[in-house]
Amino acid sequence: MGLHKGNTAQYELRDGSKIAVLGGGPTGSFFSIFALKMAKMMGKEINVTIYEPKDFTKDGPGGCNRCGGIISELLLQTIAVEGITLPDRVVRKGIHSYKLHTNHGTVFIATPAFEKTIATVYRGGGPKGMAGGETESFDNFLLSRAAAEGAIHVPLRIERVESRGKPVLFSQNKEVMEADLVAGCFGVNSTTGKIFEEMGIGYKQPSTSTAAIAELAMTEEAITECFGNSIHLFLIPDKDIKFAAMIPKGQFVTLCILGEDLSPSIVREFLERTLVKSVLPSSYSIECSCLPRMNSGAARRPFADRVVICGDAGSTRLFKDGLGGAYLMGKAAAKAAVFQGVGEADFRREYYPVYKSIIYDNLYGSFLYAVIGQYRRWKYLTKAMIEVVRKEQRDTDNTEKILSNILWDMFTGNERYKNVFLKSLKVRMHIDMWEGLFKSLLRRDDAER
Amino acid sequence: MLKGELGRNYTDGEIIFREGEKGEVMYAIQSGKVKITRVTSSGETTIATLQPGDIFGEMALFDRLPRSANAVALGDARVLSIDKKKLFTTINRDPTLVFKILEAMSHRIRSLNEELAKLRDAKAKVVKVCPDMKATCGMILDQAKEFVKAENGSLMLLDDREKKLVIMAAFGSDRVEKAHLSEGYGIAGDVLKTGMAELINCVSSDRRFVRSPIEIGSMLCIPLKCDQHIQGVINMSHSSENHFSLEDLSIMNSLAFYASLALQNAKNFASLRKATDGVLIHATLLNEYAAEVD
Repeated sequence: MGLHKGNTAQYELRDGSKIAVLGGGPTGSFFSIFALKMAKMMGKEINVTIYEPKDFTKDGPGGCNRCGGIISELLLQTIAVEGITLPDRVVRKGIHSYKLHTNHGTVFIATPAFEKTIATVYRGGGPKGMAGGETESFDNFLLSRAAAEGAIHVPLRIERVESRGKPVLFSQNKEVMEADLVAGCFGVNSTTGKIFEEMGIGYKQPSTSTAAIAELAMTEEAITECFGNSIHLFLIPDKDIKFAAMIPKGQFVTLCILGEDLSPSIVREFLERTLVKSVLPSSYSIECSCLPRMNSGAARRPFADRVVICGDAGSTRLFKDGLGGAYLMGKAAAKAAVFQGVGEADFRREYYPVYKSIIYDNLYGSFLYAVIGQYRRWKYLTKAMIEVVRKEQRDTDNTEKILSNILWDMFTGNERYKNVFLKSLKVRMHIDMWEGLFKSLLRRDDAER
Repeated sequence: MLKGELGRNYTDGEIIFREGEKGEVMYAIQSGKVKITRVTSSGETTIATLQPGDIFGEMALFDRLPRSANAVALGDARVLSIDKKKLFTTINRDPTLVFKILEAMSHRIRSLNEELAKLRDAKAKVVKVCPDMKATCGMILDQAKEFVKAENGSLMLLDDREKKLVIMAAFGSDRVEKAHLSEGYGIAGDVLKTGMAELINCVSSDRRFVRSPIEIGSMLCIPLKCDQHIQGVINMSHSSENHFSLEDLSIMNSLAFYASLALQNAKNFASLRKATDGVLIHATLLNEYAAEVD
């Protein structure tokens, strides 16, 4: 497939053009919703078929998409403006605050007026035994929205895509569709990536790291008492763990541990820590746990003529706001396809800048996580950080609350890493940090004396 | 068990923002309803009633002027605020985000245009000096029939001496009704007292409802106010429950404004004619007296 010069008519979507979307997770649904909306706006009638064999209404591993399931404040507000309002049955808990736990103290950072601006959701039917009732998974909700927009959901696994001028899709060795565009919207834990690698377009899946996710079952009363409407974050000096989060969801708490080379025993070891035990209720059980891979880099050549790959399979936001990344990339790919065309040059012009911006932003993210790693490792830095955040939270006249905002934006995924980095350059915060550091060192001297 | 609860809860009647305030955020309704109101010389007018999924408060963000109306929770409502700074940063990165806002604004402008066209037409017909009060009332009710689909309707005016509401014009079953309601008695009497327009979806369960042989499921009752003086009410009713919408209430409120002016004009014209007649009689008597003296 050669690079065409400019936007030639052969790559324009027309009435009756067919788009095959491989993967019905948030990226696939967002892509389909926006492609159909924008095409309607342009007066074009296109056909979008989503191939997704997984049933997101199923509980247990069958419907699970292995994710923490947090919808950031920014994404929630953005999709609300887009006209996508999350119904109560999808939201497991409205979140208004974060509690940051360290070995040297805990700080509480909340939204103004305690407005619940963050949502916790299940991507599938939730842990075993949860399906049915009044609840719905986020992925199923979005897939229904895509269907309402006009997309057709086919519960088939595509096993091969051949390029014959236009991409041809095969399932169980039978040709199922010749498409004008194939959008690969799959995750890094899926086998679909191989299909695109074998197409010979130069696509190479992104690098991954391992995370640990567990569902902790406890009573709703215990969750209300121990967690409230807060996500609990743990910054502890452990060489394997970058950070961990406990996310309350109705009758369960999702535990997410991010780090390097995590072993299957990491969940139990983590839960045995004194600091963690102090947060948890006396009685709970581990319902399930897994070690999913997560995107830690970017895919090579995520587009070609009539092919685009987005979401986790391409590039996504580092460690945080994966669902925000799905929205961003799904919409960018849809915009390129509808307003420009489905040729490689079209995606390079319209989609690649967004793709690259995420990669560059993640460089700032890597730096910030490295800095936070130092704060986590050195107890006087941890103490200084806690000291400064507590001071900011006490000071009602201080509207800036720089460090609190930095931590909030970092852990909620509310802001681009570049903007967080720019905030961290503010002199005021550095003065406060030095003051906090001196205080914690002086306390050590006092204690030693 | 449902655990949604995104955004902030507002109780019935709680103000989300007031007219004249600086707008730093816009809002998206998560659950419940929100009414947008403005206070005019003839009292509070509901401009729009918004549903879950609707956005509001965006105007002040874009034109940087103070809020142009009040936003009030209609029943319990849950609303998510959207920060101006973040919204504009996101729009800067992705201008297509304004498509939905433009769509909502276009929809609002379109319905306002339709309402304005209807009202202009009504104004042309209703606000003209008509010496006959009964004919004016008939004209107003004819316009009301065009605005809102109702089986029965009546226009009642307050008899200042008797302190009772008297039917001046009617259609449907109301035509045969000869009821005279005192101020504060029945739904119409209560609306006359409070001066607040009402939409009643289930009339039979309203304790103010005075039983009558006419089958009434739902009704609209709109006060006719001019310079804070309530002259009467317009009633529109239907045999089925939940027949009228909040949009019907809103447009009837607007019609009532012009109707009040028309009624005031008719009243003033009648008074003027009475005064002119008096002057004429006096002038005639004076002329006759002058002739006799001569």
